[in-house]
Amino acid sequence: MLVRFIDPDGCEHLVEGEAGESAMRCATRALIPGIIGECGGAMACATCHCYATPPDGATLPDPAAQERDMIDGCIDTRPTSRLTCQVVLAPELEGITFIVPASQV
Amino acid sequence: MNAVTPLMPDIDFAHDDVPNLHELIDELRAHGPVVPVRYHGSPVWLIMDHGLLKGAFEDYVHFDATEGYKLIAEPSMGKTLQTMAGEEHRVSRALVNPLFMPVKVRSYVEALIEPIAHELCDRIEGQREVEFVSAFARPYPFLVITRLLGIPVEDEARFMEWAIKMIDFPWDPEGSVRAKEEFDAYMQAIIDDRRANPGDDFVSRLAHAEYEGQKLSDERILSFLGLLFPAGSDTTYKNGSSLFAELLGKPELCAMARGSDKDREAIVTEGLRWQPPTAFLPRMASADVDFGGVRIAKGDWTLFGITAANNDPAVFPDPRRFDPSRDNREILTFGRSTHFCLGMHVARRELETALRVVFERFPNIRLKPGQDVQHVGAVLRGVRHMIVQPYGEA
Repeated sequence: MLVRFIDPDGCEHLVEGEAGESAMRCATRALIPGIIGECGGAMACATCHCYATPPDGATLPDPAAQERDMIDGCIDTRPTSRLTCQVVLAPELEGITFIVPASQV
Repeated sequence: MNAVTPLMPDIDFAHDDVPNLHELIDELRAHGPVVPVRYHGSPVWLIMDHGLLKGAFEDYVHFDATEGYKLIAEPSMGKTLQTMAGEEHRVSRALVNPLFMPVKVRSYVEALIEPIAHELCDRIEGQREVEFVSAFARPYPFLVITRLLGIPVEDEARFMEWAIKMIDFPWDPEGSVRAKEEFDAYMQAIIDDRRANPGDDFVSRLAHAEYEGQKLSDERILSFLGLLFPAGSDTTYKNGSSLFAELLGKPELCAMARGSDKDREAIVTEGLRWQPPTAFLPRMASADVDFGGVRIAKGDWTLFGITAANNDPAVFPDPRRFDPSRDNREILTFGRSTHFCLGMHVARRELETALRVVFERFPNIRLKPGQDVQHVGAVLRGVRHMIVQPYGEA
């Protein structure tokens, strides 16, 4: 499945994602600028924040309380803000877009 | 574990300076990814391979840190995030977490961190030569914490003594417990005041924090505040000393440090990879495990070889080269998983701000030529002394 990342410079990256992996893993594997995931996906570092737009007809599950708390502490949040370590890729999300914020810090 | 003979038996990694740590690691690596070495006089397992160490940080079955920290830290530090696990850790961390998130830490830079950097530069101004560790690297992160806690300037020296002593438990048990008692007595008055007269300051936020119906007791706040010094001051100062030592000897890196915020972020991250302040992090195994070719038994002490993993050539090609342009997503300096360093953003902003302010104030600053600047220590690694010339050659 293809996942689209738009990095802080506006460059688009199409990455082959695997169902079941997190969007953060997919991004770091492809060395997408600006997505660090330094804690490894434990919602402890807030360095994998992105704005997520699922494809037409698909929705993401709402963030759990801990993810919501972490997003509250991120920079330049929007209603579409997510921690990519908590977004699990699935076939129905084919073509999902993640915009990387200008800075995580 | 006692039956195991350590490699390099003449070296004790708890006590020796090991200025040649990287060469020692290279030599040890030839014997396997996990090897026995000596620490506080006894054999322990040193984990050096990056993949294994990352796995160990994430493995709370075999490497749950809490039992070990209860032995070496709780007597003097009290119960802290380091000694908590599971649900208790989750809630306790959530109570303090908002104070360490990027959006909050950004506000500390202007209000707190940058003015302290300038204040320390003011003291350096006009001098031809300065010992940089005592003049800047060491007091800088320490003052960030004391000012964050609202400690009056005249009491800062006393705090410095307590802070140094509190983490000295393995070396001086009585002294460290006494220091914690004195620290607690002092801070209790401030907590009492903030409970009665809450403001928007750090201690008020802790005193009135609430998460899922739970609050922090005075005892928990005191333990948390005590932990700030070893976790946030000693580490940052050691890393800052290493970072400046490397930069000041290399004009091209100094030029980059005078560049953009992104340049400084990259330099700081490379410094954190290249010479992490907690070179070897002691952890006690919480269950038997076959690991990296050796049998580690429950209760055995291990050293998480962060410096070794961060310099694992399989992950970081040509690892001894200081290269801010390399991909550093895999550094293990701040650990991994749920116990990932809470203060990571504060530490990074402090180091980035230090670079910005010092090079702004002293664009020609350099190391005094002819010095042998050494990085020392394996528990906490950094530079002990280095003379700098703030105005260059003149």
